[in-house]
Amino acid sequence: MEVSPHHPFITTKLDEFVRWAQTSSIWPMTMGLACCAIEMMSIVSPRYDVSRFGAEKFSSSPRQSDLMIVSGRVANKMVPVIKQLFEQMPDPKWVISMGACASSGGVFDNYAVVPCDTFLPVDVYVPGCPPSPDALIYGIMQIRKQIEAGGKREVLVARA
Amino acid sequence: MIDLSAYTDNPDINLSPGAASDTLVLSMGPQHPSTHGVLRVMLKLDGETVVEAEPELGFLHTGIEKQAENLFWQQAVTVVDRADYLAPLSNSLCYVLAAERLLGIDNVPKRAQVQRVIFTELTRIASHLVWLGTHAIDLGAMSNFFYAFEMRERILRIMEFVTGARMHQSWFRIGGVALDVPKGFLALLDEFIVAFPPRLADLRAILEGNVIMMDRLVGVGTIDATDAIAWGLTGPSLRATGVAYDVRKAFPYSGYDEYDFEVPTHDGGDCYSRFLVRVREMHEAWRIIKQARERFPGGPVTIDDRKIVSPPKTEIQHSMEALIHHFKLVSSGFNIPEGHIYNCVESPRGELGMYVTSAGGNKPWRVRWRPPSFYNLQALKRLAPGNLIADVVAIIGSLDPVFGEVDR
Amino acid sequence: MPETVHPHPDRATTAGLMPALELAAGEGLLEAASLDDMDEAAILPGALHAAVETLRSFGFMHLLDVGGTDHLPLTPRFEVSYHFATIDPMRRDPKAPVSRFRLRVFPQDQDPVVPSLTKYWPSADWAEREVYDLFGVRFDGHPDLKRILMPDDWEGHPLRKDYPLRGTRQNFVPGGRVGPIPPTRD
Repeated sequence: MEVSPHHPFITTKLDEFVRWAQTSSIWPMTMGLACCAIEMMSIVSPRYDVSRFGAEKFSSSPRQSDLMIVSGRVANKMVPVIKQLFEQMPDPKWVISMGACASSGGVFDNYAVVPCDTFLPVDVYVPGCPPSPDALIYGIMQIRKQIEAGGKREVLVARA
Repeated sequence: MIDLSAYTDNPDINLSPGAASDTLVLSMGPQHPSTHGVLRVMLKLDGETVVEAEPELGFLHTGIEKQAENLFWQQAVTVVDRADYLAPLSNSLCYVLAAERLLGIDNVPKRAQVQRVIFTELTRIASHLVWLGTHAIDLGAMSNFFYAFEMRERILRIMEFVTGARMHQSWFRIGGVALDVPKGFLALLDEFIVAFPPRLADLRAILEGNVIMMDRLVGVGTIDATDAIAWGLTGPSLRATGVAYDVRKAFPYSGYDEYDFEVPTHDGGDCYSRFLVRVREMHEAWRIIKQARERFPGGPVTIDDRKIVSPPKTEIQHSMEALIHHFKLVSSGFNIPEGHIYNCVESPRGELGMYVTSAGGNKPWRVRWRPPSFYNLQALKRLAPGNLIADVVAIIGSLDPVFGEVDR
Repeated sequence: MPETVHPHPDRATTAGLMPALELAAGEGLLEAASLDDMDEAAILPGALHAAVETLRSFGFMHLLDVGGTDHLPLTPRFEVSYHFATIDPMRRDPKAPVSRFRLRVFPQDQDPVVPSLTKYWPSADWAEREVYDLFGVRFDGHPDLKRILMPDDWEGHPLRKDYPLRGTRQNFVPGGRVGPIPPTRD
């Protein structure tokens, strides 16, 4: 991005501009399942303030969100629900698997808990039980890095 | 003419023209901002009024009870914590007390008991702060959420200072607590004791007596004492109908009979009464913490039985016998004689009970939870009909369910 | 001072309880005991309603819990445990004594059936569904006995001792994909 000193113009590539917009306003969806959801709520609290990064708007509707943070253990009954919600999210979308239970089953190595990468494409795994809000914000930073490094697709793609 | 044949097979859609009341079945949840977790409520609606509400559970079933059957007695403290995730130390306390009673241990040191009380009451305040923040934000009062969570951060900072973890501390052990509190704990606790009452007064000033809160909560979800007992309610939901039943007074444990605190009750039986009871409970919990701080005794924090509690690390490095004890405890735990017991504590949600059965081995045979939220949530079937949809949100918030313990 | 202090249960109201229970349960009473935490009685399913009516007449109006246990390989295999408490709607003194009682019901057959308590307590509804879901004990007279915690099409009863901890299918994903991890980027 270049700001020309003599004329009031900014020149940039459209891709970079769109990626800048995407990284500055990642809107998570409230997929709060269990204990990790409380730490997810804590990132909005004043001490960890995620609105510094533009991600404080937790939209409950999947239609208006970009990031699904699977926070908590995924039980068998919840799997079709999460899949449906993921399919309802518009592209481009990212998934953070927050916590040990969502990433791998965690403490619960039994019939009831399903790791979320068996049915969702996960971009960032945040370990912890539960991960502290700092760790989750670091995970969101990693998503930003992934977007800046290339994003999900080019912005202008010739569609057939 | 519109072709309606595609809809006539569906039993939920009533297309008869001019029918007096058509009911719509609406599935609220399991992903919903205001259901406090994964709950699906199948609401049968007549316009905006709820005719029938059928909650559906199981979206967070984790098999904690089965997992606990496959871990040693001391290891199961870690999974037990994760059921009621807003008040983890209450679960731990119930389990640890049950195991201690099965073992016949009645000489847990005073210092450990006082620490257990302090941390359980801190957990109670933390849990009620989350309840207050989320209940208020469901009804539209957003600023309370931030004040409540900021206060909770202080409590979690104390927890992290002592135990290393913000939530799921797993700090209680059968026979005492895991490690003694570090230096600086009492200073932090004193800071908290001074900082909490003005913040609680702030929270109360915003909400209690607020016209909007009273409009939304008074007269909503009313239940009387006899019905509350028939539906199995316990905890603040029962005390809001006037019944003064608190496990800490009725069946005292951990030295609670030595502390001077009251059991707040209220006679309304509606959401506003439950709200008032919980807010007052926060104040009573603060009073208990203050008294416990004043009597903070010295001494050991675990019982002296090497077969149950590991010897201190310094001794393990010098003594062969201590090393063998430690090895035995880590590799195969200890056995608890055969028997069964029902032990209950007062968790922030109500009477949390555990019916623990031991078959004489080194793993629990069966840990049956009596989850207070399970029974409190069932009362939704009785409380919701007759109210509007927005009131269902207020009722769920005032019952304060935690789905980790409803579904386990 | 002991870790847990339990005030002496209110023997005044429960003084006549055991003989009354023995009378009501008759042949169905297997064993009665007085443990550290509360009194208990082990009965057969046929005597459950009679025992419950006796308890209710003594003031045990609060059903605390309905739980199940699998005692494999002992027989009888299943136990359904009921806990009751005398909590009175007019209770205003927090220190007033509360009595508790435990009933342990041992169905004798391979396909266990226990009478339902839903006609006395609406709170027994979900608790009995949970025992059915996790153990397979059916409750006779329950209005709507179906699974509550597991998905409706789940096979098996997870908390039975012969059900493996990891379940019968690894990485079971209903209606989903079981295979390599899908790619994360386009």
